[in-house]
Amino acid sequence: MIVADFPKYLQGVLDRAGDEARLDGSAAVEAQHLLLAIAADPASGAAVGALAAAGLDRAAIRAALDREFIHSLQAVGVSPATFDLPPATPDPHRRPQPGASFQLTLERTIKSAAGATPQPAHLLLGILQADVGTVPRALALTGVDRAKLAAHVQRTLHQPTSRS
Amino acid sequence: MSDDVLPRDPGDALASVAALRRLADQLEDAAVEQAMRAGWGWPRVAEALGVTRQAVHKKHFKRLVAAGVTLRRR
Repeated sequence: MIVADFPKYLQGVLDRAGDEARLDGSAAVEAQHLLLAIAADPASGAAVGALAAAGLDRAAIRAALDREFIHSLQAVGVSPATFDLPPATPDPHRRPQPGASFQLTLERTIKSAAGATPQPAHLLLGILQADVGTVPRALALTGVDRAKLAAHVQRTLHQPTSRS
Repeated sequence: MSDDVLPRDPGDALASVAALRRLADQLEDAAVEQAMRAGWGWPRVAEALGVTRQAVHKKHFKRLVAAGVTLRRR
């Protein structure tokens, strides 16, 4: 699937990723929020299909991220359940800013597209190319083979399509 | 902290730092809201957190107003 208007697609994903960051109580939009947004956006086309084939819909990714958070805290002997404060009221006006992993993702997306107009699959590749950080750890904990998934995503880009 | 508790893999250790920062942010939001609902003023919350009054005000004022918390001026 070729997205004719990538900037428009990207804007939609960024808006959705901002919502995911807000839901997360995160001050920054990070690669994991982009991944959630791609998975939830039907306009992502083949990228959604590749994720689904690996068992990754939005809910599964969210669960994997929560698991990674708990796992990383447990590694230093901390359990988030120990703190029984009522959770803070989410701020409806907070506008999370792009974080470091978000910027790296965009750089990798542009590099993946190699001069061509990026497609949703390039954006997903930009996320999957990170070797360290929250996303690769969450995927590894879920038993997803990141290299295999990336190869699948890459193949969707080479399938013959009719350009409009 | 004993050596047994420290993760051996650098990636694990760095991920723990990232997760602790996130947890600290969540706790700060929750604890500041709880204190302000209990009638604490900005200077007291700031001193308890170990940050300046300006910093705590800038970070939390709008959120607490949106949450409908009655804020004390001092």
